[in-house]
Amino acid sequence: MKWVLPALVVAGCVGYLIYASGGSAEYYLTVSELRSHTGTGIVRVAGIVQDDIQKSDGGLHVTFTEKDGTASMPVEYSGTLPDIFKPGITVVAEGKLGSDGVFHARTLLAKCPSRFSTTPYTQ
Amino acid sequence: MPLALLDYAIHTVILGYLGAGALLAALVMGGFAAVLSFWAGVQENAVMVQIGRRAFFAAAAMIVLAGGVLEWALLSHDFTLAYVADHTDLSTPMALVAAGFYGGQQGSLLYWALVLGLLGSASLVASASLGVRLAAYAAGVLATILSFLLIVLVLVASPFDLLSVTPPDGLGLNPVLRDGGMLIHPPVVLAGFASFAIPFSFAAAALLAGRPDSAWISHTRRFALMAWSLQTTGLVLGMWWAYHVLGWGGYWGWDPVENVALMPWLATTAYLHSSQVQEKRGSLRAWNFGLVMLAFLLVVFGTFIVRSGVIQSVHTFAISAIGPWFLGFLFVGIVFSVVLLAARANRLTERAEPTVLVSREGAFALQNLLLIGVVVVVIWGTVLPLVSGMFGQPRVVNSSYYERAAGPLLLVILALMAAGPLLPWGRARGHLKIYARALIWPGAAALVVLIALAVTGERSLPALVALPLAAAVAATCFTQFARLGRSWAVLRRRRRRYGAYLAHLGLAVLVTGIAASHFWQQEKDVTLAPGQQVTVAGYTLTYSGAIERQLADHTELVGAMRFGDSTLEPARATYAGLGGQSLTHVAISTTPLADLYVVLAGANNDGSASFRIFVNPLVSWIWAGATIIIVGVLLGNIGARAPGLEMVTRRLPAAVNP
Repeated sequence: MKWVLPALVVAGCVGYLIYASGGSAEYYLTVSELRSHTGTGIVRVAGIVQDDIQKSDGGLHVTFTEKDGTASMPVEYSGTLPDIFKPGITVVAEGKLGSDGVFHARTLLAKCPSRFSTTPYTQ
Repeated sequence: MPLALLDYAIHTVILGYLGAGALLAALVMGGFAAVLSFWAGVQENAVMVQIGRRAFFAAAAMIVLAGGVLEWALLSHDFTLAYVADHTDLSTPMALVAAGFYGGQQGSLLYWALVLGLLGSASLVASASLGVRLAAYAAGVLATILSFLLIVLVLVASPFDLLSVTPPDGLGLNPVLRDGGMLIHPPVVLAGFASFAIPFSFAAAALLAGRPDSAWISHTRRFALMAWSLQTTGLVLGMWWAYHVLGWGGYWGWDPVENVALMPWLATTAYLHSSQVQEKRGSLRAWNFGLVMLAFLLVVFGTFIVRSGVIQSVHTFAISAIGPWFLGFLFVGIVFSVVLLAARANRLTERAEPTVLVSREGAFALQNLLLIGVVVVVIWGTVLPLVSGMFGQPRVVNSSYYERAAGPLLLVILALMAAGPLLPWGRARGHLKIYARALIWPGAAALVVLIALAVTGERSLPALVALPLAAAVAATCFTQFARLGRSWAVLRRRRRRYGAYLAHLGLAVLVTGIAASHFWQQEKDVTLAPGQQVTVAGYTLTYSGAIERQLADHTELVGAMRFGDSTLEPARATYAGLGGQSLTHVAISTTPLADLYVVLAGANNDGSASFRIFVNPLVSWIWAGATIIIVGVLLGNIGARAPGLEMVTRRLPAAVNP
């Protein structure tokens, strides 16, 4: 029972740290959900890359359209692209929707269909 | 015709059915071992214990057979097996074909069962010395876990499923995985995961048998250390692989898959320290049971998270039907552990002993609380999308959450590593005065580094705390070695302790590498015409031109960069056979102070090329530090007298004639 006080102190610190750092949590949305999203912070938007990829600056700058079932949005991104980036894959863009209607992504995460294999024969 | 028939018989009948049959036999033996062992424990029947244990060995042998069949099928390119066709092809190098064993869902589960079977058998061999009931229950729990894996392997995820039509070639391994890292990282991580089950089984058995003394701790010490070392190695190899292959300039991204591998490691780190308190002072019993159970349940939880797809991760594993099975197993495991701990709580009350907060055990206890705090931070960040998704729009945290929430806790742990080893156990007379004197060296080291940083203009508070603390940890270790003088006899007698100090020293080196590369990384995006130069953090590179190369299964666009006398060749490979998937080949030049890390983004029609260049300070210290840690653990423990193994020779006659 002698460790109760230190344990409570540590638990309090951990709780505070989680609470204080958790404010940076970003909303995870689809393209259509972004339409009705009212927050102003950085968000992550998942959607499918369309067939209109425009690369410039040797591939360091890229614009494309990200789409889900019903909505689409233009995305602009500077930096190295994920290896599997191509039309048809799902990407998660992290950034902000600008007043110009373009989503300015600061990171792009590509979702591999599978880490360990291509489409299996069994399916 | 007969030859073709024979060929067909060998492939389909022998490989497919032999493998599946071996798994089924293993399941029967495992289930038998579980039931018999529990019953033997209740009856305290030594003969039954022996039979139950042998049934476990038989199950392990059957798993070895199944593993051999799968490996044979892989190496002989037997595409009648769906698993072989899904994960390899004829052009994959043989080493990677062999690695296909654990490269897919079903095979990795079989590999897990294999490691559990073998290590479990090793842990049971000498368990008779622990008494009939403890040995029986340990075999029972181990056999139950093994049977669970075998049920999943037989019913849901069999690597021996046959294809109705044999394809001429397999699908092959994803190019990202066609790398030497594939040969070492997954098997080490999976073996680490598998070995957590052994301390768990003996802890549960000790509680079931009502023997909460530290016998189970000494018996499973080597397995806990092995689990910890494998997990440490696996984590660092994963970092090394990500750093060399993925091309984003870092090695740790706080991805759910990384997090779930980190959490059991944190819990086991806590256990390795707190178990010493129980061995030395007899306290923290309930806590040790809880930690070992937590580590194992975190492994099951992690497997569920990773394989079920409930949480978005950059590494999406093949999502399959095994998720619900692991969720069910996790639930049973939690209920079992909690009920067992609660039922035995009355036997875990500790000898009343005056406790001193400022003492070695006090430092261990605080370090334990902080490590569990880090686990809580990480688990919260990992499951937040799931939890927040239940109440509305899902939210995700990025790495700044982990840095801000876990960082301060990790820094306090670092401070404890500097101060704790100098503290005496319990209350020593006048110990505070002696202690204050012992703190001079680590304090001085920290001060020197702090002043050096301040003079060179470092203003980031985390860096000003982390690096001096790492220096203090190193200084503490050095003072311990210095006190040893030339006394080899003491070194031999206290091998375990000095091995641990070496591991601490390795961690100080590793932390320095992480801090330096985290706080001082520089990056630059640049487009260069041939002959143009770029300078990043004082390193000058000259772009000499792009070349295209045709290799066996891919084409490679190389953007050559001259750096001093050497040439860096960052490249982009394109695999025509895999839908034109491209793959970055990072070029890394390691100097003692920093890694120059060059990624080719692409080439333009006018001959210019675009690069992202990172300068990552002291990354090589991370790999060096991890090596020192493992060397420390090995030097401190390998070949140490094994109390259990001495009993083997005496055990057999006694057990056969109870």
